[in-house]
Amino acid sequence: MSLIEIRGLSKSFGKNVVLDNVDLDINEGEVVAIIGPSGTGKSTLLRSLNLLEKPEAGTVTIDGKTFDLTTKVSKEKLELRKQTEMVFQQFNLFKNRTALENVMEGLTVVKKEKKEEAKKQALFELERVGMGDRLGHYPRHLSGGQQQRVAIARALALKPKLLLMDEPTSALDPELVGEVLLTIKKIAKEGFTILLVTHEMDFVKSVANRIIFLENGKVVANGSPREIFDNPTSDRLKSFLRNINMLQSADDYSI
Amino acid sequence: MAKLFDGKLVITEIPDLLEYLPTTIYLTLVALVVGLVIGLLIALVRMNRIPVLNQIAIAFVSIVRGTPIIVQLYITYFGIPIALKYFNYYHGTSFNINGIPGILFAMVALGLNQSAFDSETIRAAIQSVDKGQIEAAKSMGMNGGQVLRRVILPQAAAVALLPLGNSFISLIKGTSLAFTCSVVEITAAGKILAGRNYRYFEVYCSLAIIYWVITFILERILALVEKKITIPEQPPEDKNASPRKEESK
Repeated sequence: MSLIEIRGLSKSFGKNVVLDNVDLDINEGEVVAIIGPSGTGKSTLLRSLNLLEKPEAGTVTIDGKTFDLTTKVSKEKLELRKQTEMVFQQFNLFKNRTALENVMEGLTVVKKEKKEEAKKQALFELERVGMGDRLGHYPRHLSGGQQQRVAIARALALKPKLLLMDEPTSALDPELVGEVLLTIKKIAKEGFTILLVTHEMDFVKSVANRIIFLENGKVVANGSPREIFDNPTSDRLKSFLRNINMLQSADDYSI
Repeated sequence: MAKLFDGKLVITEIPDLLEYLPTTIYLTLVALVVGLVIGLLIALVRMNRIPVLNQIAIAFVSIVRGTPIIVQLYITYFGIPIALKYFNYYHGTSFNINGIPGILFAMVALGLNQSAFDSETIRAAIQSVDKGQIEAAKSMGMNGGQVLRRVILPQAAAVALLPLGNSFISLIKGTSLAFTCSVVEITAAGKILAGRNYRYFEVYCSLAIIYWVITFILERILALVEKKITIPEQPPEDKNASPRKEESK
């Protein structure tokens, strides 16, 4: 049995079907990357698991406990949200709190830990992402890459069963992408289970155990990086890879 | 020529007027709290578009903003006793209509007046809080109340501070109209005082000084609060920073 089992996840915005009966299993310690053309529901899939979107149908089983993703019971919603943590494209750090306070926030407010314990844990997490020397800095004092590392520390501190990363480097200047990717690589090695949406294909190749190609709300391909990049079977996947610069020659650009 | 202006009187009357300052402050603070609490509730009702209550809130804000405060004071002062009389008549109760102290009417009227204005300020401030941070808080597993208390209100308060300070200052001066509800605060006291010697101009000068000094103090306090909640421009100097500056790559 897998650590995470997603079954029958469906979501549409109006008439636009974004996720169409998606099933997905994730094993413990696995890093699963979702790739696909824009607007195919990659982010929506992540956000549905955290109930930031309201799916029309679907269940998720996390560590043997099944949650109905359409639940309206707030207690169940909170319970599910505590299982996963999200790292956002725009970092979404609390602007009025320092780096240390940002990481402590979830520990003291949601987990009701004592201040000293929370601080100890937060220091450990900030140290882990290499931000141990920026404790008193507010988000406005930090570069995008540093903010995202603090956001990763904030998510890790809550010890999620599954870490959701929604294009964590898309909002960063090119020179800042590296530090965040390194951080993600490091935590992947430490055994965290990660579901990641990204456009950094080289990074996906080197870090992901498994790649999901999502198109029009359906899982079109699901395999190891080698299977996806070196031997793509689906035509749609092939044309996608060609479009995102994995193309072979300039002839492929037809105007 | 008789003395048209007695400058000394302006100063010597101040201590007599200050005896009634506690009434002014009491009235101000109660109206402030009533205004903020009801204003927050109205803002929440309007932002969540709660049916029925939303329409009532919109009408309430429109009416209160569209009528003079002095008219509102009169309506409260005369309206509540009339309503109470009807209530007594139809329910066979015997609430003492004359037993209600005047200051209560003034508190209700000024508080509700504040709430209408504050609700718009609070609504704008809450809407200015970045949606992403609210999502981040929710995805941590915070419940609605925690998101409101820990994320939305602290940041909204920083935005709302200056306009709310403005409305607080006008409230202090608005209490000078409470004499319509037979409340003797400093302005009413001044009128009574001047009635004895017909030195109205002097007493009004004294009152002007008192109000200005109160407002001046308040402005200083607001400036301090603002300084405290503003996120500093510069990052702190790291005294106990770890020796290594950047993560080794």
